Amino acid sequence: MTKLSAIRPLRPASRMNVWAVISKTFLHAFLICLGIVVIYPLIWMALNGFKNNAQIFGNPFALPIGWSWANYVQAWNQGVRDYVSVSLLVTVASGLCTVLVSAWTAFGLTRTKMPAKPLVVGFVLGGLMLSPTVAVIPLVRMMQALGLYNTYWALIILYTAFRVPFSTFLIRAYMLDLSRDLDEAAVMDGASEGQIFWRITLPLCRPIVVSCVILHVLFAWNEYLFAMIFSSGVGAQTLPVGLTSIMATHGTNYAEVFAAMTISALPIVIVFFAAQRYFIRGLSDGIGK
Amino acid sequence: MKRSLQAVALTVAAASAFGLSAGKSYSAGKAVEADPAAKVEYSGTLSVLTKFGLQQLSPYFIDLAKEYEKLHPGVKVELIQESDDSVKGKTKTLVASNSLTDVYFSWTGSWGGNFVRGNRAVDLSKVIGPDTDWGKSLVPAAVQAFQYNGKYYGIPLYLDAKFMGYNKQIFSKLGLSAPANFEQLLSSCDTIKKAGIEPISLGNKEAWPVVHFIGQLLAYDVPRETLERDFNPKTAKFDDPGYVEALAQFKELADRCTNGATMNGESYASALQAFSNGKSAMYYQEIIEFDQSAGPDSALKQADFGFFVLPVPAGAKGDPKAVEGAPEGYMINTASKNIPLAIDFMKFVTSKEHGQVLSAPPYGQPSATVGGASEANMSPALVDGLKVLKSASYLMPWLDTANSPRVAAAWLSSLQALSGGSMSPEQVMDQVKEAAVADAKK
Amino acid sequence: MAVTGVNSGAVTYGAATGQGASGTPRSRLRNLLSFRWVAVAVILIGWFVYYPIVDNFIVSTTDQDIFTGEVSDVGLANYDRLLHDPVVWTSLWNNSLYAVISIVFQVFGAFLLAAIIEGLGSERLRRFWRAIYFVPSAISITVTGLLFYFIYQPEIGLLDAALRSVGLDALVKPWLGDPKTAIYAIIAMSQWQGFGYSTLLFAIAIQKIPRELYDAAIIDGAGPSRRLWSITFPLTREMTGLMIIITITGAFQVFNEVMVMTAGGPNNSSQVLGTWLYQQGFIENNFGYGAAIAGVIFVVTMVTGIAQLLYTRRRRVQF
Repeated sequence: MTKLSAIRPLRPASRMNVWAVISKTFLHAFLICLGIVVIYPLIWMALNGFKNNAQIFGNPFALPIGWSWANYVQAWNQGVRDYVSVSLLVTVASGLCTVLVSAWTAFGLTRTKMPAKPLVVGFVLGGLMLSPTVAVIPLVRMMQALGLYNTYWALIILYTAFRVPFSTFLIRAYMLDLSRDLDEAAVMDGASEGQIFWRITLPLCRPIVVSCVILHVLFAWNEYLFAMIFSSGVGAQTLPVGLTSIMATHGTNYAEVFAAMTISALPIVIVFFAAQRYFIRGLSDGIGK
Repeated sequence: MKRSLQAVALTVAAASAFGLSAGKSYSAGKAVEADPAAKVEYSGTLSVLTKFGLQQLSPYFIDLAKEYEKLHPGVKVELIQESDDSVKGKTKTLVASNSLTDVYFSWTGSWGGNFVRGNRAVDLSKVIGPDTDWGKSLVPAAVQAFQYNGKYYGIPLYLDAKFMGYNKQIFSKLGLSAPANFEQLLSSCDTIKKAGIEPISLGNKEAWPVVHFIGQLLAYDVPRETLERDFNPKTAKFDDPGYVEALAQFKELADRCTNGATMNGESYASALQAFSNGKSAMYYQEIIEFDQSAGPDSALKQADFGFFVLPVPAGAKGDPKAVEGAPEGYMINTASKNIPLAIDFMKFVTSKEHGQVLSAPPYGQPSATVGGASEANMSPALVDGLKVLKSASYLMPWLDTANSPRVAAAWLSSLQALSGGSMSPEQVMDQVKEAAVADAKK
Repeated sequence: MAVTGVNSGAVTYGAATGQGASGTPRSRLRNLLSFRWVAVAVILIGWFVYYPIVDNFIVSTTDQDIFTGEVSDVGLANYDRLLHDPVVWTSLWNNSLYAVISIVFQVFGAFLLAAIIEGLGSERLRRFWRAIYFVPSAISITVTGLLFYFIYQPEIGLLDAALRSVGLDALVKPWLGDPKTAIYAIIAMSQWQGFGYSTLLFAIAIQKIPRELYDAAIIDGAGPSRRLWSITFPLTREMTGLMIIITITGAFQVFNEVMVMTAGGPNNSSQVLGTWLYQQGFIENNFGYGAAIAGVIFVVTMVTGIAQLLYTRRRRVQF
C-alpha cells in the first residue's frame, strides 16, 4: 500500500506521440463507458423508486416526474423495516461470534504448544472446501431437532460455523507473521495465555480483524440459501429473503419493489465506502508479500 | 500438508460412524380425530400459514387475527402469509422440518391428500361433516372437495374457478361478442390483433398459467373417468388421444392470440396488469382475480369487464360443461398443541359475517360459507361467475395440484417448452408419461 | 459469482514460521489445556459443517417421503437416476458455462482492467475507478438479480429499450424467457456484479510488483503491452491461478441469482446444480435424490478445493 503512488507501469516516460494520445483517450473512454454500464442500472433502480406504475411501464429512460418519497416510505413500513432489523441482528451477532471464535482458534494454532496441531489445522481449514449447498438437506432436520428452526439462532450459528474456517485462515496467517517479541516479554513478566491474547495479540491483529468483519458483513448481509430455508414469516426473515417475498406479494406494484431494493442496497454500499481503506489494506495484507 | 488431509479423512470417517442412525430418524404423526365436545382453551399461540401474501389480500387475515386476539386476550395469532408461488415450497420446507403451522393452507386433490396420507391433517368429520352445525353453514360441495377415504379433512374458505375475462369496450369497438366456440375465439383474436391490440395477455414465467389453459381444455377433450384414472399415480397412463389434441389446441391459441414465445419471460402479474390497463383484450384468470382486473383504480372499469368460460373446441370428447376450478381451504395440523383453539379460530374465519367481507371488494374471494357470498356486496361479475360455477357438471382440479409432484413438475416444465416452441404436443406427453412411469415404480 | 467464493482463498501468505512443538513432560498438561482455544471452532465446524455433509451421503442412499416420514433404503438408485437425468446434464453444462465465462471476464478481463487502471497517472483516478467498479459487488445478489430480472423484462426493461433506441429491434427478446438465452443472461448479470471485486484484487497484486522492474523495462525500450506481458502478467500469475480455481468453485455453487431470476426455467433450461437440488428436495419431495445432487456438488468443489491446496503448496505457500 505504501508504494501505491509510486507505480505507474503503463505510463510512457517520454515520447508522447500522437498514438499515445489516441490510445490514452481510448482507454479513458473505455473506462467511462464501463463505469456507465456499472452505475447506470443502479441509478435506474433508485429512480424507479420515485416513479408510479404508469411511468415505469412507459419510457424506461425517462426521469421521474415528481420526487415523492411515498414508495420508499411504504416499502420501509411494509416489511423492509423488519427485514433490516433481522438482518442487522443476524449480521452483527454472527460477525462477533465468527471473529471471536476465529481469533481464539488462530491464537491456539499459532501461540500454543498444542499436541497434534497439524490435525487441528487440517480439520479447521478443511472446512473451507465444504460448501453450504451440500449440507442444506441434512441441516433442515438437524435444526428442527435442535428446536432452532425459524429462529435467529439457526442463521447465527450456521453463518458462524461456515465462516470460521475462512476467518481463521486469515487471522492465523496474520498472527504467524507477527513478531513474538512482545509475547516473550509478557511471558517473562508472568502473563497467562489469556492475558497475552486479550492484551497483546488481539490488539495487534486489529487490521486483519477489521477486514474479517467487513468480509463477514458482506457475506451475512447477502446470504440467501440458508436464510430462505431456515426462516419463515415476517419477523424472522432477513433482507434478501424479504425482498423476494416483497417481489412475490406486490404483484405489479414495481415502484415499491424498486424502492425496497434501493433501501436494502444502500447500507452496505455506505459501509464499503466508509471502510474502504481498511478493506483494501486487509486484502492487501492477506494476498502476501 | 499430507497430515492435514489425513486428519480430514479421519474425521469424516469418525463422524459417519456416529451419524449412521441419525440420517434416518424422524417421525410422522398419528391419526388424530377432532372432538366436537372438546373445551376450547383460549391461551397460547396459534400459527397460521395462509396463501394471502399478496399485498391486496394480506390485510384479510391480519384484521381477523387482531379481532380474534381482542376477543380472546390470552391468544396470539402468528401469521405466515405466502403468495401463490411461494406457498408450495414453504409448505414443504415446513413439513420436512416438522415445523408445520397449527393451521395451514391446502388445495384439494393430491396436494391435500399428502397431508392426510402423512397423518398431518386432523380428521374433522365430527365437527365439519355434512350433518354438523359447522358443516351445514358451508357450501356442501366445497366441504365434499376435501373428503378423503370417506372422512373430512379440510375447511373450505372460498371457491375458485378459471374464466376468460374480456374488455367489453374493445370487443364492441371491433364488433365482437363473447365467442360461442373455440374457433370463434381464435378468429376474434385475429380481428383484435389486426387492430393492433394484444388479444390475450399471458405471462408464463411461473409456468402454471399455461397449465391452467391445458386443464380446462383437457376437461373438454378427455373423458372424466380417464382424467381421474390418470390423477392416481398407480393407474396413470396418459394415453388418451385427447391429451395431444388439447395441447395442439392450446398451441394454436398461443400462436393466434398471444405474443407467443415471449410469454415465458413475462410474469402472470404483468399480464394481469396489461389487461387491467386496457392494453390487452382478454386475460385468462381465476374468479378470485376479477376484482384485481377491474377495480376503482384500474383503467379497465367494472362496467367494461366481462367473462366467459373458455369455449369448447369442436368434436371434443370430454365434458363440455366442465369448469376448471376447486374450492381452496385450510387444514389443521395433527401436531398442534391446541387443536380445539385452531378449530375455533377457523370457525371464526368462516363465519357468515367474515365470509361477506372476503367476498366483497377489494378481496373478491367468493366465500364458501352459505350466505357469505351474497349478491348484495359482491361485484356483479363475481356473482355471475358463481352462477356458472354452480351449473358446472364437473369441477376439473388444477393439474399441478391434482397430480403427484413429479408429474406436476413434468407438466409445468414441458408446457413451458411447448409455449416456447421447443417441444411438440407429442413430446410433452412423452415427458409426462415418463414421469408417471417413474412415479409408479416407487 | 459469490463475493464469498472469491474471498475464500484469495489470500495466501509467505513463509509460515511454524513453531516446533516440544512437549516436555512438565508442561504436558498445559499443552493439553491449550485445546480450549480451538474447542469452540472444532465443535462448531464438526457439528454444523462436517457432520451434515456426512449425513447427506446417508440421505442420498434413501428415498424419503416427507409427508409420512417413511424412509426406505434404495442403495445407489438415486445416483443411477442422476446419470439418466437430462436436467442434471443441463445443470452441469450450465455450471461449466458459468465457470468458463467467469474465468474469461472475472479473471483475464479483470486482470487487464486492473492493469489499465493501475497504469493511470493520477492516484485519485485509480482509486475512483476501483471503487466505482466495486460497487455492484457490495450489493446483495438478491438485489442485483431482481434488478436484472427487471432490466431483461420485455415491457419495462432497460435492455430491450436500449436495443430499440439504437435500431437493433431484431435483437429484442424476452432474455429470461427464451431457453436459448436465459442462462447467458444470468451469467452476464453475474459478470457485471463480480468483475469489480476481482479487479480490485488484481490491482492490489499489481501494486506489489516492485517499480524498479518497470523502470528497467522502460530503459530497455519496452512499450506498455510488452511490459504488461513480460512483467505484470508473470508476476501476478499466482493470483491468476488462484482466482481461476476460486472462480470454478464459485461457479458450481451458484444458487441465488438463478433462483431469483428464473428459478431454473423456462423448461429447466437455466437449471444449475444448486437450484435443481432445491427443486428436487424442496419442491418435488425427493430429499434422497436432492442429496445425491448435493453429492455431485460436493465432489466438484472437493476436487477444486484440493487443487487449490496443491496449487498453494506448489507455490511454497503452506498452511
